[in-house]
Amino acid sequence: MSRYAKILLALALLAIWQAVCSLGLISPVIVASPINIVRAATSEWPEFLGALGYTSLLILAGIVGAWGLGIVVGAALGSSELLARATAPILSSILAVPLVVWYPILMVWVGIGAESKIIYGMLSGFFPIALATLNAVQHYDRRYVTLARAMGANTVQLFVRFIIPMTLPTIVAGLRVGTAFTVIGIIVAEMLASTAGLGFLISYYRTMFDTGHVYLGISLALAITFVINLGLTSLEKHMGRWRSLELSARTSR
Amino acid sequence: MARVIEVIKVGKTYPHPSGPVYALDNISFSVEDGQFVSIVGPSGCGKSTLLQILSGLLNATDGEVKVDGRLVTSPVPGTIAVVFQEALLLPWKTALANVELPLELRGVATEQRRRRSLEMLDLVGLTHAVGRYPHELSGGMRQRVSIARGLAPDPRIVMMDEPFGSLDEQTRTRMGDELLRIWETTRKTIILITHSLSEAIYLSDVVEVMGRDPGRILEEVRIDLPRPRRLDMMGSEVFGQLRNRIWHLIGDQAGTTVD
Repeated sequence: MSRYAKILLALALLAIWQAVCSLGLISPVIVASPINIVRAATSEWPEFLGALGYTSLLILAGIVGAWGLGIVVGAALGSSELLARATAPILSSILAVPLVVWYPILMVWVGIGAESKIIYGMLSGFFPIALATLNAVQHYDRRYVTLARAMGANTVQLFVRFIIPMTLPTIVAGLRVGTAFTVIGIIVAEMLASTAGLGFLISYYRTMFDTGHVYLGISLALAITFVINLGLTSLEKHMGRWRSLELSARTSR
Repeated sequence: MARVIEVIKVGKTYPHPSGPVYALDNISFSVEDGQFVSIVGPSGCGKSTLLQILSGLLNATDGEVKVDGRLVTSPVPGTIAVVFQEALLLPWKTALANVELPLELRGVATEQRRRRSLEMLDLVGLTHAVGRYPHELSGGMRQRVSIARGLAPDPRIVMMDEPFGSLDEQTRTRMGDELLRIWETTRKTIILITHSLSEAIYLSDVVEVMGRDPGRILEEVRIDLPRPRRLDMMGSEVFGQLRNRIWHLIGDQAGTTVD
């Protein structure tokens, strides 16, 4: 489909949406009209802009923590056969439990401020990243280590030239899942109990039956995920490209 | 001719709950400069283990290996190149970058290593595939890149562990001829592990025949076929006699099979 056709289609959908609302076919409490959302944005934009900045900051902190902790812990556990075998099942079973059930406990420990959001977001992202890193470190092809030794690579070269590029595609796949979990975790935590942020505003305006503002909040949350996804896709393209090429070549052969 | 490699009473023992396992026992031979030596033997006779010890990747429990009179206890990348059964190319690097890798690890300047690597790719007949990635190359081409990579640092000795083992027979025969040509132009000392008797006889000056339980040298067979070798020599009487002799050496070992 050409670019213009896409834009036209989007405009048409917006027009239908607005028409349905304007004609009173659906109550404005249930579905806000596009104009309502724009109105919400023009009237309350400093509040929402502040919340967007605040939540983005929490997400950034959560991502940094989840990536750092996940990669370091995963690599440490993965480098020991015994530790890996002991901890991998625990990590994957924790991954299967909805972490949100622990949030009340976290709240009691560190309050409902920014700290609890960052910690919760970090924990949400930590498990998939640690598990992927552990797997990557456990399962890369050891014959390349022998090759590196035969070529006279030192320890730094072994890591930088061989092990890191070999494990990167799996780790990046983990980063992708983990980052999504961090974003979800932080916004959900904000909706549960907080005094600031996008999640808080969405939750607050919902209790006021102000659907226009709720939609505005949702759109901004979507905008954050959109930007993060762009970043992750480009990361995957640069770091994990060889793996997908290799795989597609193998299956087509 | 000068001796390049001396293998003196090499043994390898692995500890095991029910007594030590003797993988290699009292292996001695020497290799002269520029010689082409093959090691053949039944599966499980420890020929790969021996190659790992010769190249310094593994340490012997008994005896010693000397290259140019110096004891080998760890890899000697400038002197010995190892080519493995699988090409083991880095899939995120082009053929050229793969060949450059050992030079890069040694800190050779970009300009110089590029020139050298292009030369080596030319030597193995892959000038047209310089910019291709491993997944775009056939099995034989990948192994040729791997050989070019081994030759790039200009080692004196190239040790190959069944380098054509995973190739089909036609490609394998072609690669053997290719290897002879490379050997004749570069005059490297080559040690080749193979389970193909014909390949060993066709390529080598000397064939070390190994037996197993424990892994040991049964006999050193000199191959006095004239050089340069041609494929039709494989049908000659001398070739057949050599092949029979090695076959019997290995076959005399009760219960062993040659693959």
